Amino acid sequence: MASLIPCPHCGQRPREEFTVKGAALVRPAADAGRNAWLDYVYLRDNPRGRYDEHWHHTSGCRRWLVVTRDTATHEIEGARDTAARTETVE
Amino acid sequence: MSVSAIEHRAALGGKAPLISTGVTLRTLPEGHVLHLLSASADSDVSATISAVLGCDALTKRSVSPGQWFVVGDEPLSAAALADIVKKVKPHAEVVDQSHGRVRIAIAGAKATSVLAKGTAADLALNVFPVGHATTTLIGHIATHITRVSEDGFELMVLRGFAESLWEELAELSVEFR
Ligand SMILES: [Zn+2]
Repeated sequence: MASLIPCPHCGQRPREEFTVKGAALVRPAADAGRNAWLDYVYLRDNPRGRYDEHWHHTSGCRRWLVVTRDTATHEIEGARDTAARTETVE
Repeated sequence: MSVSAIEHRAALGGKAPLISTGVTLRTLPEGHVLHLLSASADSDVSATISAVLGCDALTKRSVSPGQWFVVGDEPLSAAALADIVKKVKPHAEVVDQSHGRVRIAIAGAKATSVLAKGTAADLALNVFPVGHATTTLIGHIATHITRVSEDGFELMVLRGFAESLWEELAELSVEFR
């Protein structure tokens, strides 16, 4: 169930403590084309299955996390601090 | 121009302690609460700040990576605050929250049971030892909890929520009276 989120700083916490921001996507390069930015800002795939999302631990440590969740089963695979995430620009 | 002195009124001024065999609730003095914020979450930054201030885990409480609350029962003079800021400045920013956050003490054999009705944070002594602190929801109120003894906690909330939290805790502890 998606009701308990394993915050890397605070431990297991109920989802009521969090704010969900949506898909955690790789940010395009600053000089990427108009279409790349349009995709990044507006277009979402709405996949069935594994999904990376930004969750903010609003009523806890107030850190932004990337939570990996299964959209079909609501199973939580893990959560990590966004600062610990290494992005590679496509 | 009219001049009027600023009068300090404690947010929980009129609240008498609620004392029973199972659990005791007390308001704590509105002394000082300093919010320390560092760009670095490294544990050596935390240790350095503790060293320059000469304070322990019950005085400098963890908030989140790179953030701490330094608390005490005594109000700080402008000079004392300036001295702390000077010492901490190379390592973290200091924001005086003494006016903005209020502390409540809850203690007793049933203190953990009372809090467990309000929060989902794991308060078991082995995972939440003395000196450990975290922020969590108690009901709908974001509360910073510090374990100060085996059966005692300090709760800190934004001033405007203090009375609501007090009343909520009073209700949650009725069954243990
Ligand atoms: Zn957290």
